[in-house]
Amino acid sequence: MKTDFFRKRILESINDPTLQTALDNNTERRLKGRDLAFASIPDWRERRIRAHNIRADVIERLDEYLETFIARNEANGVIVHRAKDAREAVGIVLEIVKDMPQSRRERGEDQKNIPVHLRSSVANPVLIAKSKSMVSEEIELNHALEKEGIRVVETDLGEYIVQLRHERPSHIITPAAHLKKEQVAQLFHENLGIPYTDDITELTAAARKVLRNIFLTADIGLSGVNFGAAETGAVCIVTNEGNGRMVTTLPKTHIALMGMERLVPNLDDLALMLSLLPRSATGQKLTVYTQLLHKPMPGQTRHLIILDNGRSRIRASPLKESLYCIRCGACLNACPVFRELGGHAYIGRDKSIAPYPGPIGSVISPGLFGENYVHLAQASSLCGACRDACPVDIDLPKLLTRVRAGQSSSPSGRGARGEGNNGGAGLTWSTKFFLQMYTRLSTQPKLFALSQKFASLTTTLLSPRSGWMRLPAFTGWGYSKDLPRFAGKTFRERIGNRKLGIGTLGNSELVNSSQPQSTNPPTSQSTNLLTDQFTTELTALSGNVHQTENAANTIIEFLISRNIKKIYLQPNVLDDNLLRQANINFTHEPDPQIAVGVTKAWVGLADTGSVLEADEELPGSLLPEVHIVVLKSKDILPSLPDAMPMVKDKNAVFITGPSRTADIEMTLTIGVHGPKELHVFVDVSNSG
Amino acid sequence: MPYNGLMPAVQLFITCLTDSFFPQTGEAVVSILHRLGMDVDFPPDQTCCGQPQFNAGLRRDARAVAEHTIKVFERPPRSLKTLEVLPDIVTPSGSCAHHFRHNYLELFEGDSVWYPRAKALADRTYEFTEYLVDKLGVTDLGAKWDGALTYHPSCHTLRGINVGRQPRALLANVHGATLVDLPNAEECCGFGGVMSVEHPELSAEWLKRKISNLEATQSPTLVVTDAGCLMHIMGGLKRQGKKQRVIHIAEVLNHR
Repeated sequence: MKTDFFRKRILESINDPTLQTALDNNTERRLKGRDLAFASIPDWRERRIRAHNIRADVIERLDEYLETFIARNEANGVIVHRAKDAREAVGIVLEIVKDMPQSRRERGEDQKNIPVHLRSSVANPVLIAKSKSMVSEEIELNHALEKEGIRVVETDLGEYIVQLRHERPSHIITPAAHLKKEQVAQLFHENLGIPYTDDITELTAAARKVLRNIFLTADIGLSGVNFGAAETGAVCIVTNEGNGRMVTTLPKTHIALMGMERLVPNLDDLALMLSLLPRSATGQKLTVYTQLLHKPMPGQTRHLIILDNGRSRIRASPLKESLYCIRCGACLNACPVFRELGGHAYIGRDKSIAPYPGPIGSVISPGLFGENYVHLAQASSLCGACRDACPVDIDLPKLLTRVRAGQSSSPSGRGARGEGNNGGAGLTWSTKFFLQMYTRLSTQPKLFALSQKFASLTTTLLSPRSGWMRLPAFTGWGYSKDLPRFAGKTFRERIGNRKLGIGTLGNSELVNSSQPQSTNPPTSQSTNLLTDQFTTELTALSGNVHQTENAANTIIEFLISRNIKKIYLQPNVLDDNLLRQANINFTHEPDPQIAVGVTKAWVGLADTGSVLEADEELPGSLLPEVHIVVLKSKDILPSLPDAMPMVKDKNAVFITGPSRTADIEMTLTIGVHGPKELHVFVDVSNSG
Repeated sequence: MPYNGLMPAVQLFITCLTDSFFPQTGEAVVSILHRLGMDVDFPPDQTCCGQPQFNAGLRRDARAVAEHTIKVFERPPRSLKTLEVLPDIVTPSGSCAHHFRHNYLELFEGDSVWYPRAKALADRTYEFTEYLVDKLGVTDLGAKWDGALTYHPSCHTLRGINVGRQPRALLANVHGATLVDLPNAEECCGFGGVMSVEHPELSAEWLKRKISNLEATQSPTLVVTDAGCLMHIMGGLKRQGKKQRVIHIAEVLNHR
């Protein structure tokens, strides 16, 4: 196969210094972050095996799990659609848009607050606020919607940036990983009408301002789905910036798009996956906003679109294991190929950018879309760094060799002898020819030995003085390295027919090797220790913990010290009279202008510094710049799985620190779409 | 001296790269095994394990070579006629050991004739340092070395067959040597078999990084467990006119 187009693209990436700096940066920070995060769960190897087995079971019995999951969702009032391919999925979204009540489209002057490039040519178009969804990239949804005059705005900071640049995301977790801040600065300057600044905090604030208006006026919120839990029907969506919560809760219609393979059996299994996904993806113990949605918000319609688009075909093929993927992007960060290429260089024969880059992409892109992407699998040294990084232990090197063996194009499984119709898929003809010759030699020992002699003679003639020869670049090998001369006498000649025979010394010299020591993590459960651990974890995430004997008084003192006159208050959290006495106004109604929200946590999690709350409380926990949480110290539980029984059929969110992003140059920025400050007042009085 | 049924024996799979390019590595392996009292059998019809074909996706070819290799190693050594069980196979390459242990099983999956034969071969195959440390319980071979040594864990040794601590334990007991850690040691050097010719541009970038990491150690000698990495990194050093050299661990351990 001729793969010159791909090589050309590879060279473009390698020779782009800006891209290379960005990619080095991504690799180094992500790998370090991941290592640190995994250090906090010493049993991660066992978890990884468990996770693998769970995913294997789900894919094995997918129809069963889907049936349960769909039935639960329908019982919970969610409208479930199944799409067999991209066209059907897009059709379903368009249908939903068409059915929007006309009145909701009449927003008149909204457009004046929207940057010029985002305005639609249609007078009153439907506005869709979208959070990150790789499935939507896969089915090219934005393109299809825009063609119909529907405005779609990406709200994840990285996605927003690449949307403004009319690009595809270059990384499944950090879509703008290929860009430097100066490029974003120029982009925002030109598109958002703000003065040029390359201060990442200012850039983030500018995006927040534009996108906040989008959240508040959107007709439809569209999101992906990280996991579905079959047993309860929970739809789990994780975002750090808070945009996921915005689009799933604010608009009157929410569409969730999910690949049909994204299931886990139950909430316990979900807890396990959630201990692995954020650690692998971003080096976090838990994503800032981990939502578990069971039913639509009051007054909201929720659609769930479950997409096949080739997954059933992969499931019946030798690439089945690739469906275990939980889309964490760890294999991209670990991959030395990705580190050189970036996501935009994974191109098909038709020059289109593969929707999924990196090692997993080089398996599922040909798996989902066939021939067009098979050559991508040849760009790997099979070094195994991807498999090592994979939180569900997918044997990616094995799958890459299966794609190379042409098994992605033979859905029925292996052709004769494990080789599909396209054995050596993506291989250049010269390499293929050489290897087939080598097979002949390797199966005939006498010929093999003779060819070694011949090679030795030839290389000695070519390079009489040096043991190393310079080959021309076109040979591939000669591109960057010299080739050793074949040995004058091979090993087999040196030992000749001489019986190697028996050794001369006994075992007296042997020294026993020492065995590695096992470690047992210490355990401790007392409330004080849990509170301390909670405090340490949340503080490390720039959250604030205030331990108090009287939460109400301490919060009021805090509000007075900040000169706060009005707050959003979750009912029954603070004594209304105390607030009135302190001259602090409060409301129980959503008000986007309010700067401080006070909510109550159901429980806290010590090992991640998280609080669990009702997701519906977003007027307090997501919209304001400052979020205050009341938590009883006795309600602090050790870890995520301990809290899962409380979630059951509710809409719940685990909040782990203030809203954050690292989408520009991997630089941590606090306060994107959600609060900039999170204050948890831990009541240690143990009353009530 | 005929085999007396008391001394343990091994079969040596030398690998095509070591055989053709680095015979001195093979001699070091034999010499060490001899010193440890092992009888070494070298089945003369062995060639290549078929990994290049397998990795390239040419499974029909890979199978042909694998079948040849399995047959060759099923023949009992002359000295072992009295034994019913075939001896362990030792190979100075993590990559070829990985190919025997994992890829052969993949290759013959579902084949009622060849799978059991491949499995039997896989089960008695050991990478050289793994065999010394895990099977023989040896970590000190009395080797002597003057100067700094830096270890590069080859991908298939480390991640393919999970042999990481064994080579390090052996190197830690080389008398007189100073071990200097290689920065980002676990990154691939860019060999990857066919990838180094199929995608030389990519391979070149990783090689550059590996060499600059080696330079950062100021160590003159890089130790590897695989002839593939050896010829790749050494080839890069030669091309760039560098003075450092790459050496197989067996030669270090055999240095006295």
